[in-house]
Amino acid sequence: MTTATLSLPPTGAGRAGIRHAIRSEWTKLRSVRSTWIALAVVVVAGIGLSALVSNIEAGRWAGLGPADRAQFDPVRFSQTGVFISQFVVGVIGALIVTSEYSTGSIRTTLASMPRRTTVLAAKGMVIAAVIFVVTELTAFISFFVSQAVLTAHGGKALPAGSSIVTQVRSSVIPVVTVTDSGAFRAVFLCGVYLTLLTLIAVGIGFALRHTAGAISLYVGLLLVIPLVIQILPSSISGSIEKFLPSNLGLAMVVVTTRKTDFAGVLLTPWAATVLLALYAVGVVVLGAWALLRRDA
Amino acid sequence: MNPEAALVLSVHAARRHSSMIEAAGLSKNYGRTRAVDGLNFEVRSGVVTGFLGPNGSGKSTTMRMVLGLDRPTAGTVTVDGRHYHDLKWPLREVGALLEANAIHPGRSARNHLLGLAHSNAIPPVRVDEVLGLVGLDAVSGRKAGKFSLGMSQRLGIASALLGDPGVLLFDEPVNGLDPEGILWVRTLLQSLAAEGRTVFVSSHLMSEMALTATDLVVIGRGRLIADTTVDDFINSNTEATVLVRSPEVDRLAGVLTSIGASVAHGGNGSLLVTKAFPAVIGDAAHTAGIALHELTPQQASLEQVFMDLTSDAVDFHGGRPRTADEVPS
Repeated sequence: MTTATLSLPPTGAGRAGIRHAIRSEWTKLRSVRSTWIALAVVVVAGIGLSALVSNIEAGRWAGLGPADRAQFDPVRFSQTGVFISQFVVGVIGALIVTSEYSTGSIRTTLASMPRRTTVLAAKGMVIAAVIFVVTELTAFISFFVSQAVLTAHGGKALPAGSSIVTQVRSSVIPVVTVTDSGAFRAVFLCGVYLTLLTLIAVGIGFALRHTAGAISLYVGLLLVIPLVIQILPSSISGSIEKFLPSNLGLAMVVVTTRKTDFAGVLLTPWAATVLLALYAVGVVVLGAWALLRRDA
Repeated sequence: MNPEAALVLSVHAARRHSSMIEAAGLSKNYGRTRAVDGLNFEVRSGVVTGFLGPNGSGKSTTMRMVLGLDRPTAGTVTVDGRHYHDLKWPLREVGALLEANAIHPGRSARNHLLGLAHSNAIPPVRVDEVLGLVGLDAVSGRKAGKFSLGMSQRLGIASALLGDPGVLLFDEPVNGLDPEGILWVRTLLQSLAAEGRTVFVSSHLMSEMALTATDLVVIGRGRLIADTTVDDFINSNTEATVLVRSPEVDRLAGVLTSIGASVAHGGNGSLLVTKAFPAVIGDAAHTAGIALHELTPQQASLEQVFMDLTSDAVDFHGGRPRTADEVPS
C-alpha cells in the first residue's frame, strides 16, 4: 500500500445522485446469493413447468370435448410458470428492502444517500430492470419450448386468422407461432406483469419494513383476497374480480382472439396493463411516503 | 494499528481545519417520551470528543439525528454548518459507525464496502485500502454473517473511513473488542483526530473515554450534563483526596483535623484526607513525630465522577420499571 493511492477524486463537482445509487444497489443486489437462487427458480420453474403442462395438455387433446378444446390456449400453457414466479419476484422485491431494515443497513444506505426518494428510485429501477430482462427471456424461451413440446405431440399451427371455431374443429393440437395475433403481446406482457408485481412488492417493503409482514401482504393480495371475493355473492364479486392483480395478470397473458369464455370477465390486455401499472405506482408512492415520513 | 496504516492516514493531515458538529436546541420525542431534550453542544475538530451517557440516555438518537436518519422534534444539528441532507458527497464528508452488525449476513465484507463506495463515486481501490487499514484484507471475501463481533466492528470502522471524511461518528466502537482491539481503536481515533478530523465517539464506558477523549459531551436522560474537557470534568467535579497510611492512624487523624483537614477512615490503617495538600499532611506528620507509610494523591476516576453526576439521570435505577412508552435509543 502506498500513500499515493489514497487520494480520492476531488469532490468539488456534482453530487451523489441516482447514477451512483443505481450502481450501489446493483452491487448490493448481485452480491447476495439469494438473488441468484431466486432468479434461477424463476427461469427453471418458468421453463420447466410450462414444458410440463404443455406436455400434459397435449396428451389430453384427443380426449377433449368442444368446450375444452375452445379453452385450449397454447400461449397460456407456455406461461404456467408465472404462477410460481409471481411469488418469487414478490419475495425478491420485498427482501431487497426489508432485509436492509432487519439488519439495520438501511441506515448506512440512507447515510450514503440522504435524499431518500433517490434510494427508492434506484432500488426500484435496478430490481425492475433485472426482473424484466430475466422474466422476458424466460417467457419467450418458455413459449418456444412449449410450442416445440406441442409440435412433438403432432401439433400444427392453425391457418392465419383462425377463429375459435377452427380450433374446436381441428383434429390436430393447435400450435401458436409468435407472430400469431396476440401471441407476442401475451408472452411479452408476462414479463411486464412480473416486473410490475416486483415493484408492488418493493413498495410494500418500504411501507411495512418487516419481511414477514410484507410477504404476507403480497401473497394475500394475490391469493387470499381473490378467495375472499369469490365467497361474496356473484353480483358483487363479478364486478370486482376483474380488477384484482391476479386477474389483471390473466387478462395480460390470455390470447383473446381465440377465446370466448373470458370475454367481459377480464379487462382487455392493455387496459389490465395500465391498471396494474397504476397499482404499482400507488403502492410505490405509499412506500415513498412512509420512507420520507418515518425515522430510519 | 499497524505503522503503515498510520502512514496512510497521515496523508491528509493538516488539510482539515474547522469541521464541526453543532447541535442547537436539539430535541427528539418518541410518542410522549422525550429521548433528547434541548441539547446544545459543539464538537470541534482536531481532538477526540467523547459522548458519554448511561444506556438509554439518547446518545444513539442524537447520532442518528446528526446523520439525518431521525428527524429532530425541535432544534437543529449541522455538520460544518450544513444539514446532513445538504451534503453533496455524504460519505466523503461524514463517516459513521452506528451498529456493527448492520450488514447483510450473506454479503462479503468487500462487496458491502463496494456497494457503499459506488454510492459516493469512491473508487474501488479505496475499498481494498480501508480493508487493509482495519486488518480485514485476509477475510474480505468472507460473508459478513460469519464475522465475529470484533470483525464486524472493524468492518463498520472501515465503512466509516471509506470516504476519507473530515467528520467521523462512532457509536460504541469498542463494544465486543478484545483488549488488543480496544487499544487499536483508541490509537486509531486519536490519530484520526490528530490529522485534524472531527471525531465524535459515544460510549457508556467512562474509563475508556478517559483514555481516549480530550473533550467530553455528557448527557443523561437526553439532557446535557456537561460540555467540557476530560481534565476539567474530573477536576471540577472532585475534591482532591489524599490516601495516607500510618501505624498511628488515630493520632494522625487528630493532628490533621486540628490543621483544618477533613479525615475519613479508609480501613487497614489508612485515612482518606481532603482539604489538605500532600505536602501539608507530610509536614504535619513530621512535626508531630508520626511515621507515614504512604502518602498518595487520589485522582477520582472519570467513572466515579460520571456516576455521581448522572445518578439522578439514569434511566435504569434498580426497582424502577420503565414505562411502556419509553423507547430505548
